[in-house]
Amino acid sequence: MTATRFDWTVGEQLPPRDFGPVTTTDIVRYQGASGDMNPMHHDDVLARSAGYPEAFSVGMLSAGYLATYCTDFFGTESVRRFRTRFREIVWRGDVLTMTGTISEVRPVVGGVRITVDLQVTTQTGKCAVQGLGEFELAGRLGAGPSS
Amino acid sequence: MAVMPIERGKIREYATSTGAIQPEYLEDPRAPIPPTFLSTVIFWDQPGMALRDPAAVEALASLDIKADMTQVLSAEQEYIFHGPLPRAGDVLVTSHRFDRVEIKDGRRGGTMVFLKFAIEFRSEEGKLRAECLYTSAYTTRAAVTQS
Repeated sequence: MTATRFDWTVGEQLPPRDFGPVTTTDIVRYQGASGDMNPMHHDDVLARSAGYPEAFSVGMLSAGYLATYCTDFFGTESVRRFRTRFREIVWRGDVLTMTGTISEVRPVVGGVRITVDLQVTTQTGKCAVQGLGEFELAGRLGAGPSS
Repeated sequence: MAVMPIERGKIREYATSTGAIQPEYLEDPRAPIPPTFLSTVIFWDQPGMALRDPAAVEALASLDIKADMTQVLSAEQEYIFHGPLPRAGDVLVTSHRFDRVEIKDGRRGGTMVFLKFAIEFRSEEGKLRAECLYTSAYTTRAAVTQS
């Protein structure tokens, strides 16, 4: 895994990272893994009958990519809170760009708790998911930065 | 209410489906869960059970909205963790909570009904380990076809 940093500062931006383009396989694999088999995400005929041009991606797949973006920076054990708001539908073929900005850093016993404003943007510039994460980089890291 | 075992293979499958490939997820028999992993609760329980609450039923009926899968959109999901992150081998006990109904005008016309409900995850000893807060949006058709 990536080295877990400890010395984040407010206003610092995480390096952006792209996921996708989203494929039918990505969608059905996520659906199988998550258990959300809502056919609107893989059945074009049904989606059209409901007024959509075609089936569309799962919000929680974008949220899962955003979570992976975070755990790659902050480690797999640090999450305390993770919120995602689904703003725009993601379609097959969309490339999803993850971005994050540290909005709060506060000391806790043995470490820091950071808040990160997160966003998933499609190649059209639209915000697909607005997120907020809180991560505790704590005790196990000791008293100073870890690299 | 259901008993949900946190399974190593499920963590590996879920992590991979969201692009997470850290060895902590893939190789550790006691793997920690990814931030959005508890969405897999639907293999064990039905979060929508909270919507059988009379207040939710009444709000949908009063707006003549049919609560079928072609009209529901997931608006928001939030995970909050208490104490150590759940990991493979843990057993969690779920319970439902209905929070409230909010009715708003859609950004693209129509009326949107937001239903806020939650699943609580407790240890077998009854200690709160995690919460998943759901916001589901039911929308009149005009709100989704004008995009």
